[in-house]
Amino acid sequence: MTTTSLGATIDVAGLTKQFAAVRAVDDLSFSVGPGRVTGFLGPNGAGKTTTLRCLLGLVAPTSGTATIDGKHYHDLPHSMRVVGSALEATGFHPGRNARNHLRVLARAAGIDERRVPEVLELVGLADSTTRSVGGFSLGMRQRLQLAAALLGDPGVLVLDEPANGLDPEGIAWLRAFLRYLAGEGRTVLVSSHVLSEVEQTVDDVVIIAKGRLVRACPLSELTAGHSHVVVRTPSPQQLTEALAAHAPTARVSAENDALHVVDADAATIGRIAFGAQVELHELRPASSDLEEVFLSLTGGATS
Amino acid sequence: MSTVTAPAPAHLEARRRLVSAELLKVTSTKMWLGMLIGVVLFIGIGIAATILAPEQPGAFAPRLSTPEGMRNVFGTASGAYLFAIVIGTMGMTQELRHQTLTSTLLAEPRRNRVMVAKMAAYSAIGAVYGAVGVAFGYVLALALLPLKTHADIPWTAMWQIAAGSILGCALFAVLGVALGTLIRNQIAAILGVLVWVLIVEALLVSFLPKFGKWLPGGALNGIIQATGPNNTSYLPVWGASLVLIGWTVLFGAIAAATTQRRDVT
Repeated sequence: MTTTSLGATIDVAGLTKQFAAVRAVDDLSFSVGPGRVTGFLGPNGAGKTTTLRCLLGLVAPTSGTATIDGKHYHDLPHSMRVVGSALEATGFHPGRNARNHLRVLARAAGIDERRVPEVLELVGLADSTTRSVGGFSLGMRQRLQLAAALLGDPGVLVLDEPANGLDPEGIAWLRAFLRYLAGEGRTVLVSSHVLSEVEQTVDDVVIIAKGRLVRACPLSELTAGHSHVVVRTPSPQQLTEALAAHAPTARVSAENDALHVVDADAATIGRIAFGAQVELHELRPASSDLEEVFLSLTGGATS
Repeated sequence: MSTVTAPAPAHLEARRRLVSAELLKVTSTKMWLGMLIGVVLFIGIGIAATILAPEQPGAFAPRLSTPEGMRNVFGTASGAYLFAIVIGTMGMTQELRHQTLTSTLLAEPRRNRVMVAKMAAYSAIGAVYGAVGVAFGYVLALALLPLKTHADIPWTAMWQIAAGSILGCALFAVLGVALGTLIRNQIAAILGVLVWVLIVEALLVSFLPKFGKWLPGGALNGIIQATGPNNTSYLPVWGASLVLIGWTVLFGAIAAATTQRRDVT
């Protein structure tokens, strides 16, 4: 890696965190590369925040490692200039104003304080710099968190549920902003418990449930293998038996007055129906929507 | 092949910045001012009561016109220690209460440095409180004393007591940071500190001085050359200073050690 390339790789390897009786993260491994927005997804309580806190040196892993550019967070020479982060449950002193909150951080991290008005401008808080954070809405707090993450102009951004509390306009703005930052070659990791919130933003997804990895792949691959075929027939019983005989891998379920067939394509189903002389009224490939896939993936891990 | 984009700053420079960030945390909210008003009121009432309260025959406090009585009057100007330990305690518990500790440790993940910087910053704040308390208390005492006594003003002792008060307040503020780190819950920490200092320790120092003089509050009494009930004297100034420094270092080290690997969630 040279000094001109912006982002660094995040590597999580065999990460496990046991809190008393709860195994919050369980042998989790994945990596996140530069120049892309990666969605870190899972239901509430899946272990996302614990993973991010391990990555940022706030929580000590029980075993395994979480590194940035191969280093632990506390070994980075200028942590906030390498990694900018905004975590859930990070607070503000209600009596301190936005500008002073950032000045404290800039000072502690050795960042020029002239950067403070710049980042406040970037996140759209330029008009609220001297207001106490106690009077901020949730959306404004999110923007201030993001401003703090951007203080060091870092190559790696780690954002925990950044869209929470933003209005639709704010979410659209965040989406464009994250795309822009990744376009500059930065590494952007964004967690969310709602896939639909980030599906227009992310290139890759890392999905976890109950502390374990469920899928890590480009978003486009997520729906592959999850398409199904909708079949309408007056003789569902007959068709189901024919499919069982000729395409044993296909799984058939009845929904409303149609059959949903997984793991057999429309042509195969049509041929089997023709061979069995079953009358068809509809034969239509359908792809599951992402949220359905997400729910089935994360729900599947709970059983 | 990772390369560092900027030369690592001198350790001292980084540490200086951390102290300055901690001071900015204090001055960017209003609490320090409220506490300073508290210092002035507390010392004002203490000095006025010590000088103006009618002396009862056989009272166990030294008589006002004696050298011991005069030293006790000026020693009362050390009252800022109470506010120093409370603001030190809050300096840490507020970070937990408002969950700002996460940002603090993201900006400087080396926790030892953060602890040391916080203690250094609060020792300075404690010293400022001590100095304001002494200045105000002395002016008030010098104005009120002629109403009750024409005994000689112990100028030399006054300077020593002033220096001792400022040192004591600085150390108590650091002790507060350490206690806040160990107790963590803000209300429990402040209540615990107040009950200890104002009740438990105060009773031990007054009525069991043999034991009490070794406690932080008893050591402070030694530093400010106070005389207790029935002419009890405490440790000599140098010994008392060492004892109070010892307590501060002990609790500071325990606090720093427990912070090293504690999960911040």
